[in-house]
Amino acid sequence: MDAQDLGYALTQVVHNLGAVSVTGGAAAARCLRFSEPQAAQRRLVWLVLAGWAAQGASGATFGAISYATYGRFPDIHGIAVAALALKMVCAAAGFSLGVLYLVRASGWSAARRQGAWSALFGFALAALTAAAFLRWFS
Amino acid sequence: MNLLKALLLTCALGISGIALAADGSVTISSPADGAKVGTSGINVAYSVVTGPKGDHVHFYVDDKEVKVLHELKGTYTVDSLKAGAHTLCIKIVDKSHTPIGVEKCIKVTAG
Repeated sequence: MDAQDLGYALTQVVHNLGAVSVTGGAAAARCLRFSEPQAAQRRLVWLVLAGWAAQGASGATFGAISYATYGRFPDIHGIAVAALALKMVCAAAGFSLGVLYLVRASGWSAARRQGAWSALFGFALAALTAAAFLRWFS
Repeated sequence: MNLLKALLLTCALGISGIALAADGSVTISSPADGAKVGTSGINVAYSVVTGPKGDHVHFYVDDKEVKVLHELKGTYTVDSLKAGAHTLCIKIVDKSHTPIGVEKCIKVTAG
C-alpha cells in the first residue's frame, strides 16, 4: 500500500466526516424547537465546530501531503481557486459563528438562534457545493 | 556471444520500458515540436500513461492551465493562439491535481 495514497485516503475520511458534521449538525438543529432549552443546540454546536475544524485541518493536510511528496501544491486555477476560496471562507465563517453561538446564544432570542443555524446550514451547503467544483475543475 | 549481447539488450530495453510505464509518460504526436500552426483550432494529439502515481492530465498553453483532461489518449483543440511562439505542455497530475513531474512540452509558432 502506497503511503501517499493511504495519507490521502485517511485525510479524505476526516474531511468527509467533517462535511457530514457541519451539514447534518446544522440541519438537525434547524429541526429543533428554538423556544425550548438550549442543551441540545449547544451539543450540536460542538459537533459543527468539530466538523469545521476537521474540514480546515484535513484540507490543509491535503496540500501538505502534495508538498511533501512532490515539493509543490496542487495545480489549480480559475473556478477551482474560487471554489477553494469559498470553502475557506465558509469554514472560517462557520467556525466563528459556532464560537459566537457558544459564547453569546444564551442571551439571543429564538428567532436569532434560528437565524444563526440557518446561516451555519448555508455555509455547509455552500462548502459542499464548492467542494464538487474544486474536485472536477482545476 | 552475440546471442548474449542480444539477450542483455532485450532485457535492458524491456526493463527500461517497464520503468517508463511505471513512472508514466506523455507523448504529443502532433503537432511536431517546432511546428508552425494556425492561430485557431489547433489540434493537439496526445497519449498518456499515467503510471501508479498519476490520475489525469492538465493541458497548458504558455504555462497557463487551460484544460483538465481525463481521457488518456485523444486530441485536444486549442481554440486560439496569438501569432508568435508558444509552449504547449501536458502534465500528469495525481488525484489532488498535483503535477507528479512527468510532462511533455512542445514549442509551436502560430501564424
